Amino acid sequence: MTAPSLPVRVGPTGPSFRQRVGKATPYLLLAPGILWLLIFFILPTFQMFLTSVSTGSLDNGFKLTWSGAAYVTSLTKFGTQFENSLIYGGIATLLTFAIGFPVAYTIAFRGGRWKNFLLFIVIAPFFTSFLIRTISWKVLLLDNGPVLGFLRDTLHLLPADASVIGTPIAVIAGITYNFLPFMILPLYVALEKIDPRLIEAANDLYASRWGAFRRVTIPLALPGIFAGSILTFIPALGDYVNAILLGSPQTQMIGNVIQSRFLLLGDYPVAAALSFILMAAILVAVSIYARVLGTEQLTG
Amino acid sequence: MTAFDRDPVSPVISRRRFLKGTALAGVGAFLAACSSSGATSAPVTSVSASNAAIPTLPPATPAPSVAATPKTITGPLHWAQWPAYIDLTGKAATNLKYAPGSSPTLEQFKAKYKVDVDYEEKIEDNNTFYATIQPELVAGAPTGWDLIVITDWLAAKVITKGWAEQIDQSNVPNCTANLRDALKGQVWDPKNDYHYPWQSGMTGIGYNKASLASAKIAAPTSLKDLWAIDPKKVSFLTESRDTFGLGLLKLGKNADPQQTSADDLQAVHDDIQPLVQGGLTFADNSYLQNFAAKKTWAAMVWSGDLASSGGTDDLFVFPDEGTMIWTDNMLIPKGAVNIYTAETMMNFVYDPTIAGQIANFVYYVSPVKGADVVVTDLNKSAPLDPAVLALLFPPDAVVAKQHNFQFLPDALETTLNTLYLDLAGG
Repeated sequence: MTAPSLPVRVGPTGPSFRQRVGKATPYLLLAPGILWLLIFFILPTFQMFLTSVSTGSLDNGFKLTWSGAAYVTSLTKFGTQFENSLIYGGIATLLTFAIGFPVAYTIAFRGGRWKNFLLFIVIAPFFTSFLIRTISWKVLLLDNGPVLGFLRDTLHLLPADASVIGTPIAVIAGITYNFLPFMILPLYVALEKIDPRLIEAANDLYASRWGAFRRVTIPLALPGIFAGSILTFIPALGDYVNAILLGSPQTQMIGNVIQSRFLLLGDYPVAAALSFILMAAILVAVSIYARVLGTEQLTG
Repeated sequence: MTAFDRDPVSPVISRRRFLKGTALAGVGAFLAACSSSGATSAPVTSVSASNAAIPTLPPATPAPSVAATPKTITGPLHWAQWPAYIDLTGKAATNLKYAPGSSPTLEQFKAKYKVDVDYEEKIEDNNTFYATIQPELVAGAPTGWDLIVITDWLAAKVITKGWAEQIDQSNVPNCTANLRDALKGQVWDPKNDYHYPWQSGMTGIGYNKASLASAKIAAPTSLKDLWAIDPKKVSFLTESRDTFGLGLLKLGKNADPQQTSADDLQAVHDDIQPLVQGGLTFADNSYLQNFAAKKTWAAMVWSGDLASSGGTDDLFVFPDEGTMIWTDNMLIPKGAVNIYTAETMMNFVYDPTIAGQIANFVYYVSPVKGADVVVTDLNKSAPLDPAVLALLFPPDAVVAKQHNFQFLPDALETTLNTLYLDLAGG
């Protein structure tokens, strides 16, 4: 080695600074997200778990006693509300899919130059507050409102004492409306990615239009269907605004129970236990769902 | 307040608990002193932690922090209030937020003291509003409000926990001079160190004359009548003390915190349960909108609202069985920024001229001596409807049947909330 012009690496024998930085890059990039999750999700979740096994009152403080009483109360007393949540959330998810799939399909395959405009229309309601939109539904569904009034008084399709507000129909309608874009957007993204030539190829191979749809389009849209139904079902399950504004005491969901236990009764252990049970139920449901649909298709 | 005045020694707030409250006031003053230096005091993360801190601090009187308050007007004054509770009109009343030119009273205050007022009708229900400020109060952080108006039971709770700023009486001469005697000497704040009443009101029956007439239902005169209307068209109140208090009267029981038992409340619950199954709903101050939309035909309502803010067909009636009586009180929450301005506002609305002007608009019972004369003067040319006059100055027959069901022993309060939630589906 007689050429001293070559740069010579000096320093310790271990990996260079640049190498070390290079190795750490993914972690550095992840750090803000991980820290965020740690501080605002993991720690509160842990705190909530401790609360759920505590006993006491808001005025005198809660003591960690590892008591399971809150879980017993949660599981025995609120069957109706859990049931309401599952049924309303489930039906609303199916409805958003039934409404959302044709919309997403049309935008993706037939949207042409209107695509962006149509997508804008889908998310336009988000420019208004969630509460305002739900309260507007209340106005629409009132006994003398534009919908019921028209169907009953003008078309005479409904009996005189027909009422929607305060029934499960109103609550499900509100949830369906409020979460519809969460279904349409992932479906659109999945459908838009499908290469139309694949469908042509299916037709060339003597698949009927329905056959091509069933065996090409649907499987390729599965990630969107999965994402859309998760994004709709999970928040719908915990929703309480629609039940408060559009429902009645009979149509309260588990979110309402959690809200009133926390804010009105100050019964933090039961509220925390209910939240945990809801979280566990969602985890179980989602993992079964993922297993049924097949995870490799979802990530691919 | 009469029920309470008859027996001022309430078991609700024992001497021990009251001392605990004053001690907490000391903690609050300490925290406030820390935060006034610019740095926010370390938040106390849980209730138990703040309670645990009590014994270590002497039961100091919070007076020094009050004396330190400079007597200069600062603003804007952030004031949280109930809807239909001041002379707010036009779009501001719909938006539940004061806008310049919408309220004569606030206009006069702004002109007199050269300060802005951020008046928001944010309080629809005590519990819901309390939930929005309670975490800050526990943590010793500012709530964002300088002046809040809350009902007796909650005012008592906030004050005994030491979460209200002490009022410098030298700043509120009108209040000390003009507070009606019947409202003085509350056990939870006997010398009005922390509160002054805003308005008193009664809870009774409200109904829409036209809706009931078209359904061929006679106008209700008693609570029993309210139970007989199609529950789908009826709402009770989310303020469970009002709903259960009237429920007790309907069953012929005495609505008195000292006498009522858990079994009595259970009986009320069982009496209301069938109505809930039939479609009864529970409303906060939003019953005003429900009456306007004809969703509600009859309801448990607060006395002044329908006359001041309802339609012409919306009427209030004192039920035969009796009414609930309560007072909403002005408090300065701990951590308020414009304390002197808040005191100035209290003093301002205790000027009988201003108090009369407010009472003449909101149709509730004014706590200010001399307001009645002003109201009569204001209506000289066109005397008020006797029904409205009865809201402002309840007749003796009504006063005799007023019940204060506000201060419940802890155990009874928990029972009440649990039973109410069971009805409300939560």
